[in-house]
Amino acid sequence: MRKCFRLLSLWFGIMVLFACSEKTFAQDIRLTATVDQNILTGNDRLELTLTIHGAQDTQPPSFPGIEGFTLLFGPNISAQTKIINGDISVSKGFTYVLQPVAKGKFTIGPSTVEYKGKVYSSQPVTVEVVDTPRASGRQSPDLEKLVFVDLSTDKSEAYIYEQIVLSFKFYFQKGLPVGDIDYVAPVTKNFMEEKLGDQRQYEEIRDGIIYNVLELRTALFPMMSGELVISPAKLKCNLIIQQRRDRRVTPSDSLFGDAFFDDFFGREQKRYPVERATGSIILKIKSLPEEGKPKEFKGAVGTYNMEVTTKAQQVKVGDPITLSISVYGEGNIQTISEPVLVMGNENEFKLYPAESSIQITNREELIRGRKVFSKVIEPQMTYLKSTPATVFSFFDPRAGQYKTISKEPMPIIVESGEQEVPILLTTSQDKVATAKQQVHIITEDISPIMVNLSSFRNQGNRVYKNPFIITFLSIPAILVAAAFLLNRRKLRLTSDIGYARKRRALVLAKKRLHEAQSALNQNLPEEFYACLSKALSDYLADKLNISFASATEENVGILLRQRGVADDIIKEFSNCLSDFDHRRFSNDGGSFDVMEHALRLAKELVTNMEKQLS
Amino acid sequence: MKLRIFICLFPGVLFFCCGMRSADCGLPKSEVQDPKDRISRDAAIKLFTDANEEYLQATKFIASKKTQEADQHLKEAVLQYETILAGGFKNGQIYYNLGNTYYRQGELGKAIVNYQRAKRFMPRNADLDANLRLVKRSTEDREFTTEIPVVIRRIFFWYILLNQDELFIVAVSLYVVVMILFFFSIIRKYAWFKKATIGFSVVLFVIMISLGSKIYREQGVDRGVIIETKCEVRYGPGEEYEPKFEIHNGAECVIEDEKDDWYRVYVNVGIKQTPDSKEGAEEIVRNDVRRGWLQKKHVDVI
Repeated sequence: MRKCFRLLSLWFGIMVLFACSEKTFAQDIRLTATVDQNILTGNDRLELTLTIHGAQDTQPPSFPGIEGFTLLFGPNISAQTKIINGDISVSKGFTYVLQPVAKGKFTIGPSTVEYKGKVYSSQPVTVEVVDTPRASGRQSPDLEKLVFVDLSTDKSEAYIYEQIVLSFKFYFQKGLPVGDIDYVAPVTKNFMEEKLGDQRQYEEIRDGIIYNVLELRTALFPMMSGELVISPAKLKCNLIIQQRRDRRVTPSDSLFGDAFFDDFFGREQKRYPVERATGSIILKIKSLPEEGKPKEFKGAVGTYNMEVTTKAQQVKVGDPITLSISVYGEGNIQTISEPVLVMGNENEFKLYPAESSIQITNREELIRGRKVFSKVIEPQMTYLKSTPATVFSFFDPRAGQYKTISKEPMPIIVESGEQEVPILLTTSQDKVATAKQQVHIITEDISPIMVNLSSFRNQGNRVYKNPFIITFLSIPAILVAAAFLLNRRKLRLTSDIGYARKRRALVLAKKRLHEAQSALNQNLPEEFYACLSKALSDYLADKLNISFASATEENVGILLRQRGVADDIIKEFSNCLSDFDHRRFSNDGGSFDVMEHALRLAKELVTNMEKQLS
Repeated sequence: MKLRIFICLFPGVLFFCCGMRSADCGLPKSEVQDPKDRISRDAAIKLFTDANEEYLQATKFIASKKTQEADQHLKEAVLQYETILAGGFKNGQIYYNLGNTYYRQGELGKAIVNYQRAKRFMPRNADLDANLRLVKRSTEDREFTTEIPVVIRRIFFWYILLNQDELFIVAVSLYVVVMILFFFSIIRKYAWFKKATIGFSVVLFVIMISLGSKIYREQGVDRGVIIETKCEVRYGPGEEYEPKFEIHNGAECVIEDEKDDWYRVYVNVGIKQTPDSKEGAEEIVRNDVRRGWLQKKHVDVI
């Protein structure tokens, strides 16, 4: 099934091809004669190709007269079918190889072919045979003939704003590989430019040699009169020439002249950088004649026509009517000005600025296009029966005169409108933007004086100079510092037992001495001496950070000496402790005076010890 | 950590103190002097209201093209505004209104001086800025100083928008907050106390630097404005020295030194170094070209 479908497709394709070929065959038939070179030496050979374009089913063309040459062999017949963008072209070539037999300029006569009752003939080709032998060794190609450029305009004289076609052509001999093309366009100062179509590529025969041509075209519109110069255009490229090594040309070359044998026997590729420049062009630009210039003329030059349409036929007073005015033709479409509306009375219609749109319809040969103006008019009177007439004037450079196109008014019916209060519900952003404008400052003046009394206070007294504030600033710092120190002391008291005992030693001693005072007042000798003894021994134990049991006379004496306490104080302290213990346990408390003396002595001892140990 | 924060804050405090010292040393005479008979607020208000009334009367006369009467009222207004200021009562509004009055009298230099003084008290006032710009546009000499870029103004907004007192109040508030946070961070060991303390300390540091800088900029550097129609800047402090160039009413300058009746100034106006210099040559003029000596009577210190 699939195979059948493929065959059907193939058959269909062939049918389409033949149908196209039939169409092609119906095209013009031409016979051309071309040579591979038109200047050669007696040792060279000349390839003459007679090509029938447009048909393949013809007889071979008649062999032309070849004075100065003999036929070596031929013809080699080749048939060619080209399909470019759907256009099919066919040709059939007959190539002969000729050998020059004499020197001088010879003309290869025209060849003829008969096809379907008509006779077609080729142009004669002039070939020169010179005696200058080509340099032996490597051949250097004649680059001037292989590649050249041309810059031209379609006219040498034009009116200001008239369309001129500038054409740049790059010729290179057919089959010559060209790469790295770099084109520098000519400077067209004082002209407006519009590109014309895409790059064109075609073949052209010059002096019997076929060239490939690349053509770039530009439409120019001169903006001033006088002699305007178009500077030269430049082109840089590289020619890639396949060169054979020096070998005698033999008839077998045609047999072994393919790429495989060339590569095998040594064929090299060489790049020749080529730079070509065209000449400059001087154009004479004429001013537009003053004679016969219509008052509606606004500078349009070209060939134009105009259409005016409107949809509205029946409107009320104040209702908008949109006139669509289309000006079309060839010329500078962008610069076409708005056509003029001819009104009997200016108050009959309210006019709004026209909005325009441009459409370029053809860029191939010349700039052709259309500019459409949407003109809004509002009829103000009920007696109006038609729209205003539309007039457009332009200068036709071909005719060399001004032309005016007038379009007749179009009938309308205007009814009286109701007096309505316009309610603006929404506004287009564009319209807002166009309607708004910048406000101009009329006069520059200073702002008025200030009269605010509520904030009227003496600002000359700087706050940072106020002594109260400066004093106030120190309070938080002092508080923070105090908190910091207290916190540190508190931490030490909880973490350092020795420090804590030392700090509380005096307090405890004073407390015990106070208890002793109470015992003295109550006449309790045993308790009195117990308090005194405990006050002294505990005080020393706390101060020296030793256990209470270790606070014996001997230990205390040693430790106090290590702390640098005077010996007399140590001795007195020991004596007191012994005395107090003795009186405590022997029921010999002594008199009130003795006890009072003992209390005073204990207080002095503690005071002296505090001074010594701090 | 706390010690470190204290150390960090120390340069800020030092900078602030230096700013204050500089301010005291270089304070314009008008601000340093303590008038013997200081004016009360009520008296100042009365004078201020009267002066405003005089000004408004003058404006009406100007509108009706009665220049003589207008000038008389303007002179009276100036006298009353100056009386308030001489009484030690300073307020941005007084300076602003005085600037307006001088502008109406055509005294552009004095108007600029008073607007600049007012700006120290009212840095955010748009009317003041507009008037100052307008008066500066009217002066003869082109100002050379460049404005602070908008980006910088936005970033350091507090420096531009707050006056000295307001910056000081912000600094004190932050100081109190930092101290409270310190206090509580000593008593209670919460982590966020520590972070908040660091954050507020950094802000306080920045504000202290800003305040010190502002005080130094406004009061540590003497700036003046030319109050004569035209005066010559000379090569030395005396009439015997050759004139260097001329500057005109309203041109601002920095006072660098003084000797007898002369100020050594650095002018902030464009100067053409040579008569045939091209346009824009003043931008590449050397700094020493801008310096010269001016008579004190030609300059009013801001």
